[in-house]
Amino acid sequence: MSLSSSLTLPCFNSSFSLKKSGGLSKRSRFSSLSPRSLPPPIKFSGIFSNPGFPVHGASESNRVSVQCFAALNPELTSTLDKFVTSHKVVLFMKGTKDFPMCGFSNTVVQILKSLNVPFETFNILENELLRQGLKEYSNWPTFPQLYIDGEFFGGCDITVEAYKNGELQELLEKAMCS
Amino acid sequence: MASRANAMLSRASRMKQKLQTALEASVLEIEDVSYQHAGHAGVKGDATETHFNVKIVSPKFEGQSLVKRHRLVYDLLTEELQSGLHALSIVAKTPQEVGRS
Repeated sequence: MSLSSSLTLPCFNSSFSLKKSGGLSKRSRFSSLSPRSLPPPIKFSGIFSNPGFPVHGASESNRVSVQCFAALNPELTSTLDKFVTSHKVVLFMKGTKDFPMCGFSNTVVQILKSLNVPFETFNILENELLRQGLKEYSNWPTFPQLYIDGEFFGGCDITVEAYKNGELQELLEKAMCS
Repeated sequence: MASRANAMLSRASRMKQKLQTALEASVLEIEDVSYQHAGHAGVKGDATETHFNVKIVSPKFEGQSLVKRHRLVYDLLTEELQSGLHALSIVAKTPQEVGRS
């Protein structure tokens, strides 16, 4: 599956191509994003009931009238939908599989490596817009974020807990067979 | 006045207040481990009050998956997450689960 057409978005600024083995290689040009090359963040105002993601300026009450910016737009949502389903196991992390840049991300990488499952990673430090968009997309404010079979599984603590009780291995086996 | 007084509390104290009130926790332990993460990628500026270990035992977690429990904690700490709290290591159990172990 070629993702290049859906991933030449200014905000993503990268393209993917299939390797012969069926994996994905990523050519990324995240270092030179200019404000003009990014799609405008969504600016909206309205009444929210539990928007499900952090809202700047929101009060403690459930219904608030706010004006705020969101990194997640329909294009990015669609791109992320495709990316998390493009591989059985996808990890959004700090750093890369070979050079993790955070202890929590490294822990998850080492667990997945020890289970010998193929997994795709994405370095959220390379793209601040994507980093913020993912927090909204996953409804999860921290990284790493592990997706299995297209579904958000959890962060480091949950992955470790599931690894200890065997639930992770079970789920991965099921995902690989489906 | 209340918010000014609140701002003077440490992050750990504010977190404790928010979590205790909402979760009626029988056990609530918060440990600032920011010093263990000083200098790592993605942490801007001084690494103080950025990383915490949180252990909560609450009946409100009954019947909830780990993801839901963690999301509940994160939602309660939204303001902290927007103002420099960078990462949480969460242990979230029900009283029955603690009693069994």
